Amino acid sequence: MLRNENEKPPLFKSWTAWYVLLVIFLMLLMVLFYLFTKKFS
Amino acid sequence: MSILDWLVLAVILTLVIAYGVYKSRITHNLEGFFLSNRSMPWGLVLLSIMGTQASAITFLSAPGQAYTDGMRFVQYYFGLPLAMIVICIFFVPVFRKLKVYTAYEFLEVRFDNKTRALTSFLFLLQRGLSTGVSIFAPSIILSSLLGWNIYYTNLFMGGLLIIYTLSGGAKAVAYTQQLQLFIILSAMFVAAVIVVQKLPGRVSFTDALYISGKLGKLNVITTGFENGKFIWKDQYNLISGLIGGFFLALSYFGTDQSQVGRYLTARSLTQSRMGLLMNGFVKVPMQFGILLIGALLFTFYIFYDAPIFFNQVQLKKLQQSSYRDSLQIARQHYQAIQNEKKAVAAGISALLHTKADAKKNEAIDKLKYLQLQSDSLRKKVKDWIRSSEIRGDDNDTNYIFLRFVLDHLPEGLVGLLIAVIFLASWGSIAAAINSLASSSVVDFHKRYASQKKSDEKEFRLSRLYTLGWGVFCIIVAMFAYNAGNSLIEAVNVLGSLFYGVILGVFVVALFFRRIQNGHAVFWGALVAELLVLVIFFLSRQEKIQLGFLWLNPIGVAGVILFSSLFQAAFKKTNRQYVA
Repeated sequence: MLRNENEKPPLFKSWTAWYVLLVIFLMLLMVLFYLFTKKFS
Repeated sequence: MSILDWLVLAVILTLVIAYGVYKSRITHNLEGFFLSNRSMPWGLVLLSIMGTQASAITFLSAPGQAYTDGMRFVQYYFGLPLAMIVICIFFVPVFRKLKVYTAYEFLEVRFDNKTRALTSFLFLLQRGLSTGVSIFAPSIILSSLLGWNIYYTNLFMGGLLIIYTLSGGAKAVAYTQQLQLFIILSAMFVAAVIVVQKLPGRVSFTDALYISGKLGKLNVITTGFENGKFIWKDQYNLISGLIGGFFLALSYFGTDQSQVGRYLTARSLTQSRMGLLMNGFVKVPMQFGILLIGALLFTFYIFYDAPIFFNQVQLKKLQQSSYRDSLQIARQHYQAIQNEKKAVAAGISALLHTKADAKKNEAIDKLKYLQLQSDSLRKKVKDWIRSSEIRGDDNDTNYIFLRFVLDHLPEGLVGLLIAVIFLASWGSIAAAINSLASSSVVDFHKRYASQKKSDEKEFRLSRLYTLGWGVFCIIVAMFAYNAGNSLIEAVNVLGSLFYGVILGVFVVALFFRRIQNGHAVFWGALVAELLVLVIFFLSRQEKIQLGFLWLNPIGVAGVILFSSLFQAAFKKTNRQYVA
């Protein structure tokens, strides 16, 4: 069942792009959570 | 529970078991049973990873945690997305290249058999006991709230899932987790909507957030610094969440077979990686959503009468003790404060959309003061429950959400939410039992067997181990009831004690190429474990102030340091011997 293990990731050209996107997403979440905390505290 | 609730509960549980059995067509060999022939798409891998991590306690405890301590618990998951990236880059390609069944097989290829056996044994010990407690923890809550017999509840909680886990192995586990998560998340969403709907007419969703926030429950981001000093004992803050949470997630997803076994079922390296990365995207927002229910519940219980303590069994014990009269007085006082809080909060919501800032601030200060008084009465009750006369469980966090479900949800939905508890348990327990069986068969039975068995025989053996571990975990759950809180606490900390060291062995294997000596790593791991235990006991005795999340990076650093030292020492000894 094992396919070619070097196939490319979906949507982006490299896995690095996925990793960067996830880090940016996490940072964005933290900023949003910070603003949420500030607004309601 | 009404007849309708029982009916909903029975239909959902039967549906899930039937679906699991229906999806049980697999090839009769180890790869079919434990890895679903490595055929799963990333969507199923993602849901399986999420279903394995989220136990019943996740859905019971998180709202209660936000109710008592605020939403800062979400920071515990901040390290998880970063860990997913590291696992995708370094761990998954190695596991897939070697076509391993368990993560620990890699350690034999890299070092030696005893290092593999040690880490696999630590996994079996920790996961076997903690799965037993995973059965017991939701069972005791349901048993306390609904008056069910604890032994039968344990049996249903841990026994029924064995039907589909035995017949379909990892494939049935993954497919049922998909259905379970869909039902769980839908039911939690409905519960959240009802919390908001049941608020008094004038109080909107944002008003509820405003009140909850002013009383410190929307503290999503906290730095962990107090007067310019970092509080090492503080469990949930930005720094401990990012660093400690990263190491915890790295050990759990990278080296715990219950998770490794999920993404090894993927049909390719890409599908494994996508499943893990998507988990990094959805986990933090999902936890935020669950915690938000707890923060909203906090405002809800300002307008509706909150019990002074949410675990009624412990309250009954107090009523039958010498604290009876004190409890009566405390309850009356609590109720009076509750009435005052209700009036002040209603005033705040009326003032919210006006420009009367001074009045609004005055009312908020009053509400804060009243909340402090309520908290102090709750603390008093907890002290009595913990006292030598009662020796009860003074933590009612896990009971808060279910108390709301039983008291305020309509018929039918109560059954649905009780089903959620079972399904969340089944998802994580089924994956755990499947992984316990795979490690036992692959790392020990097959590894040390003198004769090679046929595929069919290995398949039957795997089912036998699955059944055996299922029975073992139920026995642990039954024993937990008699042993009381001490065992549960012990098992809960067990993960933190071992995870760092297990991860340390993998970190050395993957990143420290110059460390080749299996003896060095084996002894390095043992000494590092000893160091973790010493630090843990020192912190328990309050000789040092340290949150448990920090034990993970300490374990990792310990293995790297001691393995390097032993490697150098062994090299020196060998050189002397040769000379």
